[in-house]
Amino acid sequence: MKSRKLYNRISVLRKERNISRQELAEIIGVNFQTIGYLEREEYNPSLDLAFKISEYFELPVEMIFSPNPMKSLSEEIRELKQKSGGQ
Amino acid sequence: MNQQLSKTARKTWIVINIISIILIVSFFYLGQLLEVPAVFFAGGGVSVIIAITSFIKVFIKTGLWKMVHSSQHSLDERQVQVILNAMKYSYSIFTILIIAIVYGFALFNKGPVNVLVAACLLYIAHILPAAIIGWSEKYV
Repeated sequence: MKSRKLYNRISVLRKERNISRQELAEIIGVNFQTIGYLEREEYNPSLDLAFKISEYFELPVEMIFSPNPMKSLSEEIRELKQKSGGQ
Repeated sequence: MNQQLSKTARKTWIVINIISIILIVSFFYLGQLLEVPAVFFAGGGVSVIIAITSFIKVFIKTGLWKMVHSSQHSLDERQVQVILNAMKYSYSIFTILIIAIVYGFALFNKGPVNVLVAACLLYIAHILPAAIIGWSEKYV
């Protein structure tokens, strides 16, 4: 069975935290090349690895991974604001 | 830190390595055919040097050899997946190669497979998974 492509925000979040691929790889316990593959969306992580990543970034897993192309974080925040009444 | 080689460079060194192995066997049979052992020692010697150089360049310095021969506990899930996939293809390629050689020897009445061919096959069996990864993966 061919699996779906998963989109993610790892690259954006990693840059925001100002850490290198090597550092992130050491934190979540993978090879640094694997971080590159994940960021380029050339590899779908296991559920365990996806949770490790979401735990590190302290975000829900669906905020980091999605089967649909991801909107930018600012766009997402704008939509959330509109949903909550523009506060 | 492993030396990074581009995919094209890796492919080139893998081809050089495999050709040098074929040349070792070819020089052995050429020496036998011409009844001049010097052909085998000279040509074979050069081929062995090329084989060792290319082996170090593409398998040792890039870390491919270490990766394929590491315990699964020291690898991450992507690396394990890549290695298992390479093993699957290696198994098929090696089986076809063995069958072709055994039938080839039988067909041309070359007798049993000699020690040199067996040693080369053993070497190929060991490098095949690493060669497949080096050939197909974008980064190693």
